[in-house]
Amino acid sequence: MAYIKWAFILTFWLLLGGLLHYTLPQYDIVRIVNTYEERQDLNDWTRIFWSSPDDQSASLAGRDVQFIQGVRENGKPIVYRNEDTGWGWPFYFKFDTANLYTEANDAISTKGNPEWVSILHYGWRNEFLSTFPNAISIKPVEGPDHRVINWFNIVFLTLLAAIFWAIWVRWRRFREARIDPVLDDIGDSMDAAGDSITEKRGRFRRWLNSWRS
Amino acid sequence: MLGLLRLVLILFVVQTIAYIGLSFYSRSLRRRKLELRWSEKALPVDQETFVRRGLTRYDNSLRRKLILGVYIVPWIAISVLIYVVNFM
Repeated sequence: MAYIKWAFILTFWLLLGGLLHYTLPQYDIVRIVNTYEERQDLNDWTRIFWSSPDDQSASLAGRDVQFIQGVRENGKPIVYRNEDTGWGWPFYFKFDTANLYTEANDAISTKGNPEWVSILHYGWRNEFLSTFPNAISIKPVEGPDHRVINWFNIVFLTLLAAIFWAIWVRWRRFREARIDPVLDDIGDSMDAAGDSITEKRGRFRRWLNSWRS
Repeated sequence: MLGLLRLVLILFVVQTIAYIGLSFYSRSLRRRKLELRWSEKALPVDQETFVRRGLTRYDNSLRRKLILGVYIVPWIAISVLIYVVNFM
């Protein structure tokens, strides 16, 4: 029983952590090297990793998606998609895809004369599922050592932890006051019932034994 | 604009649930506080009258109307977010 309970708890926290890691904004310092547009099929389950902008019919099986190609300071490539999030989840309210594409094209630089930008994005790059983080905004920075403090995440995660803690404390208080006494009562009466059954069985056994000779 | 409509509707339902829940919670807090205050002081009125009077005053207070912020604050946040993400 304890294993099942812990498996549930672990699964819950893993899912929540994954959801937060996917949805919350992160900054990358990269050099933009190119942008491209590519038609994407949207008819399998990886659909959940693409946006559903407002002007897109739900039955659409494929459409063109814009991509922004970047290179990190350590030379590793990273590709972002550039899609409206519209009014839906995740709630970035991004409508300026075309503007961002222009900014990205404006920031293209070469290895010899690099221009570094900080790209705010959410989502995961996964080569096997072909998922891409969605770029939200592009800001020029002075160099690859630039560090951005993610204030939003600090505030958001602190508030979330506070809310969870508040609910947890209240739930524990409620359980101690209302549920535990009832469970104890049930346990006591179960014990009492068990005792009386054992006693009766004992009497029955004695009676049975009395027929042996 | 269908997306906006959906957001408005869902948010409205969530806000209404939050508003009702917060209202009850805040009122029960106030009631408990009033009961505590009554038992701390030796007052010439009985507890029921004291609490009822206190709650009437609470019903007309600004504090209670602040709970309406549940409907307003998310839209301020959304407006700020739209501005920051798209126009800054």
